[in-house]
Amino acid sequence: MTTDQLTAEFETFQGELESFLLRMTASVQDAEDIVQDTYLKTQAKIHTFRGDSSLKTWIFSIASNLARDLLRSKKRWPETITDICREETLHNRQFFQEALQIREMSPQGKFEIKEHIAFCFTCVSKSLPLEQHLALLLREVYGFKVAEIAVILNQTEAMVKYYLHVSRNRLIEIFDHRCSLINKEGICYQCTELNGIYNPKQKAQEELVKIEMARDAETKSKEELFDLRMKILQELDPFESGAAELELHHLEHNRQVMENHLEENQ
Amino acid sequence: MKEQANSKSQEGRATTIRKTFSRETSVQTTIFADPAIVWALLTHESDFPRWNSTVTSVKGAIKEGGTIELKSTLDEKRTFKLTIKEFVPEKRLVWGDSQGSRVYTIDKGTGGGTHFTMSEKIGGPLFPLFASYIPPFDESFERFAADLKKEAESMQNSKS
Repeated sequence: MTTDQLTAEFETFQGELESFLLRMTASVQDAEDIVQDTYLKTQAKIHTFRGDSSLKTWIFSIASNLARDLLRSKKRWPETITDICREETLHNRQFFQEALQIREMSPQGKFEIKEHIAFCFTCVSKSLPLEQHLALLLREVYGFKVAEIAVILNQTEAMVKYYLHVSRNRLIEIFDHRCSLINKEGICYQCTELNGIYNPKQKAQEELVKIEMARDAETKSKEELFDLRMKILQELDPFESGAAELELHHLEHNRQVMENHLEENQ
Repeated sequence: MKEQANSKSQEGRATTIRKTFSRETSVQTTIFADPAIVWALLTHESDFPRWNSTVTSVKGAIKEGGTIELKSTLDEKRTFKLTIKEFVPEKRLVWGDSQGSRVYTIDKGTGGGTHFTMSEKIGGPLFPLFASYIPPFDESFERFAADLKKEAESMQNSKS
C-alpha cells in the first residue's frame, strides 16, 4: 500500500476515529494528538499489516493502544461527575460568559438537548473501567463486531462479551437512577436546565417530544431506552454538530474540574 | 472423598458430606459459555453483587496472592477476610482462611459446555465445637451456581 493510498483510506474514517478518541479522553487536544500519532505510527508500520483484519480495525487498535497508554495512569471519573461539575459551574461566572459568547457568535453555538445527552454520556461513561469503556464505545457507538473488538483490544471474544455485558448493564443502571428524561425519579435534569438558560424562549417539553428516548420513556424498557441513547450518539459528530463549539467548551470545563477534583481527593 | 461428593451430586444440586471434624459442600453444573466468561465473572470482584444473589459485597482483589473481604447472605453481619490461595486462569480458583477453603474449577467439557464445580471444606480439631453455629451452605451453593450459569449464558448469547 502506498502512502497516498493509506492517507486516502485513513481519511475515510478519520472523523470517526477522532470522535471515538474524544469520547474516550474528553479532551479535544488529546484526541487530536492521538489521531496524529496514530497516523504516523500507521505509516511507519504499514509493512506489518497483513490484512488479517480490515485496515480500519487495525488502525483503531493502534489508536486504542495510544489512548490506553494515556489514560491508564489517570483515575476514572465518578458517576456523579455531572453533579460535581454543576456545582463548580454555578460559581464560575467566566464559564457562563464564554459560553454565552459562543452561543451568540458561533455557527456551532446552538444548545440542543439531544446534543447535551451525548455530552452527558461522554462524561458519565468515563466512570467505567478503561477496557469496558473502550469496548462499549467500539460496539455500541461505532458498530464494531465482537470479533473486531477482540482484535482491537487484544482480548478474547469471551472477554469482550463480558466487558460489553457488564458495562452496558452498569450504564443502564446509572442512567435509570440519574436521568430525569427516562425516569421521573431521576435526580439529574441538567440538559433541560441548560436549555432554559441558553434557549429561554423555548419550551423544554416541546423539545423533549422530538427526542425518541424522552418521548417513549414510559413505554420502552430500560434496554430499549439505552439503545435509543446510543442511537443519539451514533448520529452525532461531536466536532461537526450545530452545538459542537458550545459542548466542547463545556466538556473542557468538566475535564478540568474533574482533574482538580481527582487530585484533591487522592 | 471430594470425588465421592462430586460423583453423587446432580446437576445444580448441592451435596454435603458431614464428618466429625469437617464438613464439605459441593455443587456442579454445566454452563454453555466460554470458560473465559465464567472466569471473568468469578474474578471481577466489584461486579459480584450484580449477578450473584448470595454475595452482597466483595472488596479487595481476586488475583494471585490477593486478599478479599466478602459479605454473603449466609451471614450478613460478618465480613469474611479471605486470601486467594490458588489462581490458575480459566481453570482453578481457591480462596479461604484458616478454617477452610472454597475451590472453584472450570473445565472445557464436551458438547460446547463448560463444567463448573464449587466446593468448600471447613473443619479442624475444634470443628465439633462450632459446627452447630455454621449455617448449611447447600441452598446458597445452588443459587450461586444457578446465578453463574444464567449470567454466563446470557453473556455468551449476547449479540456479536
